[in-house]
Amino acid sequence: MTDRLRMALAEVSAAASAFLESTSDYDQLLQTIARSGARALLGTCSVYLFDDARKNLTPVAAHDNDPEVMTKFGELLMRARSAERPIMAALIANHVLFMPTLDPEAMRLDLAEDGYELFTKLGVIGLIGVLLRVRGQLVGVLVVLRHRADVPPLDEIDREIAIHLATFAGLAIGNARLFRDAQSVEIVRRSEARAVQATMFLDAIIENIPDMVFVKDADRLSYVRLNRAAENLLGRPRDALIGKNDFDFLPRAEAELHVAKDREALRGKKLVDIPEEPVETTRGERWLHTKKVPIVDATGEPRYLLGISQDITNSKLTMATLRAAKESAENANRELESFSYSVAHDLRTPLRSIDGFSQALIEDFGDKLGEVGLNYCVRVRNSAQRMAALIDDLLKLSRVTRSDLRRRPVDLGEMFRAAFAPLQRETTRHVEIVVSGDLKANADAKLLAIAFDNLCGNAWKFTSKLEAARIELGTRVDNGERVYFIRDNGVGFDMAYREKLFGVFQRLHPESEFPGTGVGLATVNRIIQRHGGRVWAEGEVGKGATFYFTLGDTGEVP
Amino acid sequence: MTDRSILLVEDNRDDEELTLRALTKSNILNPVVVARDGVEALDYLLYRGAHATRPRELPQVVLLDLKLPKVDGLEVLRVLRAEPATKVLPIVILTSSVEEQDVIRGYGLGANSYIRKPVDFDQFVEAVRQLGLYWLVLNQPVPF
Repeated sequence: MTDRLRMALAEVSAAASAFLESTSDYDQLLQTIARSGARALLGTCSVYLFDDARKNLTPVAAHDNDPEVMTKFGELLMRARSAERPIMAALIANHVLFMPTLDPEAMRLDLAEDGYELFTKLGVIGLIGVLLRVRGQLVGVLVVLRHRADVPPLDEIDREIAIHLATFAGLAIGNARLFRDAQSVEIVRRSEARAVQATMFLDAIIENIPDMVFVKDADRLSYVRLNRAAENLLGRPRDALIGKNDFDFLPRAEAELHVAKDREALRGKKLVDIPEEPVETTRGERWLHTKKVPIVDATGEPRYLLGISQDITNSKLTMATLRAAKESAENANRELESFSYSVAHDLRTPLRSIDGFSQALIEDFGDKLGEVGLNYCVRVRNSAQRMAALIDDLLKLSRVTRSDLRRRPVDLGEMFRAAFAPLQRETTRHVEIVVSGDLKANADAKLLAIAFDNLCGNAWKFTSKLEAARIELGTRVDNGERVYFIRDNGVGFDMAYREKLFGVFQRLHPESEFPGTGVGLATVNRIIQRHGGRVWAEGEVGKGATFYFTLGDTGEVP
Repeated sequence: MTDRSILLVEDNRDDEELTLRALTKSNILNPVVVARDGVEALDYLLYRGAHATRPRELPQVVLLDLKLPKVDGLEVLRVLRAEPATKVLPIVILTSSVEEQDVIRGYGLGANSYIRKPVDFDQFVEAVRQLGLYWLVLNQPVPF
């Protein structure tokens, strides 16, 4: 075998193995074929394939070892749309076109203008064209244009090489196409699987939304989709509902209500919110908060109606219970108010008679009553007046409970001093009134003034037998909590009774010693409680008493 | 002291007696007319019903209780203030109630004073004495 033959064989087998390696990438295979042709036959090699209709040949790959030539060839090919038509026709007719020496001038008529330009500009001097077949079927052509004068002219061996290359190329193209088709089938299969998966995912979401989700078609308003919450809520399986409309299973009036809202959403092409609507279910009537949304197609026409309904029956019941409780509390308050009114007016009236007519007895019949009789009349009057004082204090207590709490910044020191002002006017007593510390608080001024009147009144009263009385208002912080206190050096009290101090009508001293109704500290307690605070006392008999109180979380002025 | 009358609107006979007694003790000798419910008070002051033919003369002051049978004191006040003839008639609310709402409504409807009847008769006499002194002596009455 000659070297020339050996080299040719090597070229062909190299090309064949290169083709095999490219089977999995169709486009790359076509490039490999062009490159192998260019390499083995020392020219510009191009691959043309028929389109799907098998009418037109289209260049799909081209190669030349010289990049400059390649660029020029690409440009020329772009312009030469009809250039090779006559050549192709000849090639297809003859299976192989072998033109070892070629003169474009001689072929000028056959090449047409653009073909002539291509051949002359490139300097084509020889040509080999072979058909590409896949399993016997013509699929395209492989063309090599020889333009180099520095190599021997094309010969029979070149022709054989071209035929073999074309054979292998056809096989490889066939395989690559099979592979490509199989791959695209796989891609379709995979994307279908993905679509199914996505649908299942969306289905699972819709199915598991805890609110009722339904879809109706826009024309008949019959159900096309319902989720599990809808089945549970309506108490019917979806098979019994799909394809039906509201009139098929709801009371007529109710169905009309729903359908009217459906139409409203579809007509308005916007969301319709229905805060409360009744729906008849197999468990009885339920209340829904429903939102209806039209689903429009590409042209903007509503195709479906999407509805989402939340079962608000329970919260509606809770609301109703709350309303009832509020109403009954308001009723109770009104009753308390009318009771207080009766106490204020009706109980005092007979007391006034008792007192007034006792006095009339004293004045008009004093001489007949005698000393004992007169004394009895005085006692009757005292009791009547004491009972009037009790009633007044009880009314104050009830007013403290009834009035609204309105917090604003108040100066406790000022309030403290103001509470003593009327007491100081009526006496010659000297009492040291001390205010220490920052005493601004956020509290109801009116209520707190009543509390101060009581606490200061007590301190004043229980220091009345002292020469050097001292009453102090102060503040301190206990475990992060602001505490206020009123301290006196009066008669004090036995700590054993401290729990009793704040009860209504509870007294620790005889009336003859210190007058009082026993309602004052109960009133203080109520006022402090209204503020969310606590009140307590410390004391010792003969050594004074200290009353502490807090004003709740919002008591401190920021 | 003029002899123009006082109208006492009071349903309770004890309170009526005690008020009269207090007036006497305070040397207030004006004639006292008593109306025992709201309707009677309105009839008297507006010359209606049984009082349609009485001489056209208004009292110098009206002592008005709030809790009254048929028509209550606040309603009486409202009607009187709506009538041109009694729009400026001195009306003193004399009642047991010191409910804040009653005081506010009383003044709101145009009462001239609001006095709470004390239980202590001595204080009651003192209140009536001052009241008489003010409305019957010191105060310049509306010319009729």
